[in-house]
Amino acid sequence: MHAVEVESVTKTFGPVVAVDDLSLIVPAGSIYGFIGPNGSGKTTTIRMLLHIIEADRGAIRVFGEALHSACTDRIGYVPEERGLYRKMKVREVLEYFGGLKRGGSLRKEVDAWLARLDLADWADKKVETLSKGMSQKVQFIAAVVARPPLLVLDEPFSGLDPVNADVLREAILELRAEGTTILFSTHDMSVAERMCDTILMIFRGKKVLDGTLEAIQNRYGTDTVRVRTEGGTAALDGLRGVDRVTDFGQVQELRLDGTRDAQDLVGEILSRTRVASFEVMRPTLRDIFLRIAGPEAQESTHA
Amino acid sequence: MRKVLKVARREYVATVRTTGFIVGLILAPVLMSGGLIVMALFRDRTDPRDRHVAVVDRSGLVTAALVRAAAERNARDTVAGPGRPRQAAYLIEVVRPNDRDPSQQRLLLSDRVRAKELHAFVEVGPHALHPRRDTTERHLAYYSQNAALDETRGWIAGQVNAALRRQRLVEAGLDTTAVPDLFYNLEGAPLGLLSRDPATGRITDAVESNEKAAVFAPMAIMLLMFMMLMWGAMPQLNATMQEKSQRIAEVVLGSVRPFEFMAGKLLGGVAIAMTASAVYVGVGLYSLTVLGLSGLMPLSVVAWFFVYMLLAVAMYGALFAAVGAACNDPVEAQSIAFVAMLPMIIPTFLLLPVVTQPNGAFATGMSLVPLWTPMLMLMRQATPGGVPVWQPWVALVGVVATTLLFIWAGGRVFRVAILMQGTPPKLQNLVRWAIRG
Repeated sequence: MHAVEVESVTKTFGPVVAVDDLSLIVPAGSIYGFIGPNGSGKTTTIRMLLHIIEADRGAIRVFGEALHSACTDRIGYVPEERGLYRKMKVREVLEYFGGLKRGGSLRKEVDAWLARLDLADWADKKVETLSKGMSQKVQFIAAVVARPPLLVLDEPFSGLDPVNADVLREAILELRAEGTTILFSTHDMSVAERMCDTILMIFRGKKVLDGTLEAIQNRYGTDTVRVRTEGGTAALDGLRGVDRVTDFGQVQELRLDGTRDAQDLVGEILSRTRVASFEVMRPTLRDIFLRIAGPEAQESTHA
Repeated sequence: MRKVLKVARREYVATVRTTGFIVGLILAPVLMSGGLIVMALFRDRTDPRDRHVAVVDRSGLVTAALVRAAAERNARDTVAGPGRPRQAAYLIEVVRPNDRDPSQQRLLLSDRVRAKELHAFVEVGPHALHPRRDTTERHLAYYSQNAALDETRGWIAGQVNAALRRQRLVEAGLDTTAVPDLFYNLEGAPLGLLSRDPATGRITDAVESNEKAAVFAPMAIMLLMFMMLMWGAMPQLNATMQEKSQRIAEVVLGSVRPFEFMAGKLLGGVAIAMTASAVYVGVGLYSLTVLGLSGLMPLSVVAWFFVYMLLAVAMYGALFAAVGAACNDPVEAQSIAFVAMLPMIIPTFLLLPVVTQPNGAFATGMSLVPLWTPMLMLMRQATPGGVPVWQPWVALVGVVATTLLFIWAGGRVFRVAILMQGTPPKLQNLVRWAIRG
């Protein structure tokens, strides 16, 4: 059984088509990356999935059931912008949000999660006293404490320091190991590359990519070369057979147009400058996205 | 329903735990009952200090009568008796009129009042005996620091008029001693209606009332209703706006439907108002009983208060929650709060006409407007005469229908607006969201 099935869903807000005939399938027990630039329709899709807003057309099924309000009890949700009652104590706010999903006492689960994410000492402190990173972890606990089989995370790592990001990543991977399906929305494609089993890319409300990372990359072959040279970008100007040069500061990525061999190319670069490293690689998700969406999308992927 | 109760419980606990609620809950009854006790203790107390009043009699007709009347009054009223406290003595100082410079004389007397040598001074005009011959002239003037509210002014005017009437009768050749009761005033005693006790069949006497008692119950009950709306309904505006702007609503709506969310908030508001009003009504009734004034607040009115209060908090709460959901930040909420509160404030301006003529067409009509029924009908019911039996029931149907309409429309606005960012809370937007959903 699939965790989520979205079938030809469309949602418009006045003249704006936020989601356009979108279909996707999230396999149960997987980490599913839902990627795309800001304003591409990710949050609207998530809100429809959570039954917060209704789709104009199409169907959504959660664990095989047509979407209805009770389905949301099986979905934990961490929104992009954190929403916690600032005047409530941490334990109270967690019991409240968890209690909205599931009846009965959640005290044990709350305390266990607080200990697991190193927040036990803050259980009786007010939310307003927490740092941003702590608030994010509390928001995460609020979504998982009722043990929902599907977890929707909207930009879960944004603003987290590396230590807290690692803690959260480990928790997500543990949940997946325990059988929880993770739907993971982000505009940071490198995070999606590292964590997701399956990736769906959305741009301007339309699906532009769908599949495993390997399948997606295989589709585009090994047409990317990453180099580090003394001469930098200036030494790479006017190289024959290079479609595009992307400068990352310390390294540059060259996309080949298919008319030239990478081994031949390295010889020409060596004739111009000293080369510190040279790597033939598959294109990144970001690069693939830019090829699909065109130059107009470049700006939004930098967000 | 579990989720509605969960939201309601959070709303309730979040409010009743605040210092403001606890302090208000304790302070308000203390001040209220304290005020009643102080009023009861001081209701018969008057300022017993002597009042020196200078009289400039340009008619030459009233001074002697005024001095005599003051002496009689002082002999009678300045000695305390059982249940009768000592009254201030009126000491009349006769001042010869200065006809050459009357303004200068008035100024000197004014300075003496300012220096506390005098309480007031009185000027009787030269043509006071026949004032109708020149209506432009001021025939009797009373000067003091607070002349309009000075009770001595009424006594002086009464004595001056009595003296002048006697003079007019003498002029007309009538012997006033032949009609000793000529100037005896009768006051209409304010009495309620008689009724027959259904148990004993005996006729019960009418109860005498006074202005303060007649106004107390309607004012108190309206004030209490207003307070409950301020506690139970009004906070919905800011709370909802905060839940929206701090993105809490999105998290909650991931678990509950918008209507359940709003219903929970309204239920929490009703519970808050019920808690506060139970304390206030309890303490208020106890205080009245202790003071022997329990008749001031009929219990049937108290029962109606709870019915109306429950509906009013839900009705206005739905309105405020919908408006709060449409606001994007505190500035918008602040600017729209007064407009949203207007329907709640208007009845407070109608206190006087409703209390003085509770069964007039104006008061009856206004109290049947569902938005105002909870305050105005209740005020009318609390007046000594009460209202026809059918009116509260008809009004109740209107309030129930309006409450349901407000919850329905408010729920639709809430659902659309709570996640919408950047759209200002304009009236046309609210109406469009309510109609289209």
